[in-house]
Amino acid sequence: MGMGDNTMHKLTIIVENKPHEVELTPSRTTPGEYAVIVDGEPLTVYVPDYDTPELADWMIVDDRPYELLFSPDLRVAQIYSGRYDIQVRDKEVGAVRPAAGDGRVKAPIPGLITRIHVEPGQIVEAGQPLLVLEAMKMENEIRAPRKGAVHQIAVKPGQTVTLGEVMVEIQ
Amino acid sequence: MFKKILIANRGEIATRIIRTCREMGILTVALYTSTDRDSLHVRLADEARMLRSPHRYGDADEVLTIAKETGAEAIHPGYGFLAEEADFVERCAAEGIVFIGPPPSVIRAVRNKMDAMEAVKRAGYRVPLYADLPDADADSAALQRAAEQVGYPLVVKSTRGGRGRGARVVLQPDRLAEAVRAARHEAELIYGDGRLYAERVVAPSHYLAVQVLADGHGNIVHLGEREGSLLRHNQKLIEESPSPSIDAAQRTELWQAAVDIARMFNFQNTGAVEFLVDNAGHFHFTEVKARIQIEHAVSEMVSGVDIVREQIRIAAGEKLSHTQEEIRLDGWAMQCRINAEDPWNDYLPSPGRLTRFRLPQGPDVRVDTYGYVGCAIPERFDPLLANLIVKGDDRDICLSRMRRALMEFRIVGVQTNIALHKQIVQHPAFVAGKYDTNFMARFRFDVSANTSRETCRDLVAMTAVTYLLRRRIDAPVVPERVKSGWHRSARRLPS
Repeated sequence: MGMGDNTMHKLTIIVENKPHEVELTPSRTTPGEYAVIVDGEPLTVYVPDYDTPELADWMIVDDRPYELLFSPDLRVAQIYSGRYDIQVRDKEVGAVRPAAGDGRVKAPIPGLITRIHVEPGQIVEAGQPLLVLEAMKMENEIRAPRKGAVHQIAVKPGQTVTLGEVMVEIQ
Repeated sequence: MFKKILIANRGEIATRIIRTCREMGILTVALYTSTDRDSLHVRLADEARMLRSPHRYGDADEVLTIAKETGAEAIHPGYGFLAEEADFVERCAAEGIVFIGPPPSVIRAVRNKMDAMEAVKRAGYRVPLYADLPDADADSAALQRAAEQVGYPLVVKSTRGGRGRGARVVLQPDRLAEAVRAARHEAELIYGDGRLYAERVVAPSHYLAVQVLADGHGNIVHLGEREGSLLRHNQKLIEESPSPSIDAAQRTELWQAAVDIARMFNFQNTGAVEFLVDNAGHFHFTEVKARIQIEHAVSEMVSGVDIVREQIRIAAGEKLSHTQEEIRLDGWAMQCRINAEDPWNDYLPSPGRLTRFRLPQGPDVRVDTYGYVGCAIPERFDPLLANLIVKGDDRDICLSRMRRALMEFRIVGVQTNIALHKQIVQHPAFVAGKYDTNFMARFRFDVSANTSRETCRDLVAMTAVTYLLRRRIDAPVVPERVKSGWHRSARRLPS
């Protein structure tokens, strides 16, 4: 798909569990400008930094400028102080981005495992502390992303973990 | 005056010190480690030397060696690391290098928090109840006995660190052992010394600190008080000066007490005399910080005094630039500590590389930071990224200035606690100036996004455009997770 692509795209976008139907058409004349229809309402979106999409952190919707930030996987958006869980479903591609939280708790930061609070087979509640990861001179509690049974603990106290390393699996 | 100073610190405080040195025409030597070479302080300095010791900025031998090799006549320790290390100060003197801070005798007198409280208590001031805690080998009965002398709730603290990191509040006896274990571990990690004491909690209370400056000629002045009652994990989040919680009579009494206590310890250079103020309005002395503090700029904003300049002048044997009568405390100042941590994810540290870093500007706004676009935020050091300080004629103006400055501050590449600050400075109790040390325990960061229908609709439109933009590029457009600062594995749950 290149710059010459001015076809209309149909998407379903879910914001905080509420789906919205979207039709999106890039402008034929102005780079960075898009005609967007959200649930039947027409809007114009202008992206000043459209050449570097990963840095596109502000846009103008009709007359309203926004500073915003999307996570790399397009699962989280931040505007001002608000943070939103989002999901994009592309009707043509048929692709649904994989559901968040497959139960694998990965190290969000490299560090040292100092304590483990749970055992294999134990049922944990969402938010329950699983282990302590020491980094930036702080003891950071890593909590369960959801309710479930502890399937596997892949780390031991005293072990260092790298970013993204799976520490615990919850089923 | 010195021609060259070595700065034995990193990050925002090293950057802050270099700025004053340059204004004074003094050359600077910066230190860095392999992971924080990017920090602005390295780029701004006249010379930069890499530390090879595993103890990094805390390695007295290597710091002294570099000072001698570079011909630095004085060492500024900043805060943490080699600040408040009496042995290091003596070694500097033996090498003919001036330590920019209090003399070793003063550091020793105030560094052991229990001894300092004992001395101040004998001089007739209130101090909280406290007791020495036995060492790690002691049995649990001995530990409980020590704690009972103080009573619950109590706070377990490092004799070295006092109220800062490593402190643990204990509400009931069955939690004591675990709190002591964790506090000892953290104290050893941070201060290299696991000795602890227990102090009775005075809560709710206010944390007030009076900034003092004293030269070697018997002159001593104060720059008013700061309130720092908003804490998370024992780290202050927001400080302001003057304090909104004391009246004029209390203020006069507090200033006098601070100056008298500083004199009692023969204090020299800069420091802060710290107090708790209970609900009845009584002051309880807690400690003297014998170093420059993270929040020193709040006092600089209201007094117009450059504290780092005075530190250097005092260390060079000069007199204070101002008498107490010449110092006008004017207006209201406030500081928010901007940390690279994720408020949506249990405040986990968020290292990464800054891809956007737009500082707030405009009248009476100051930012002390080591960051810039392209700078790496290392995982190894503490998460303080920037101090945002604003000033206004009164507290209302100061607050609205802080709100708009937080709005302007734009950081991409790491997550920060700016969103948390935005919510605190709009909280009715904070706006009214009626908050105490219990505020953060009750405060709930609103993780939900309360949004109008219009904003939500616009967000949907912008999400759609972003999806298309990112799909347009064949190569992955997004830097790897380490550079992004986004963590999703343990999203904070409303508790």
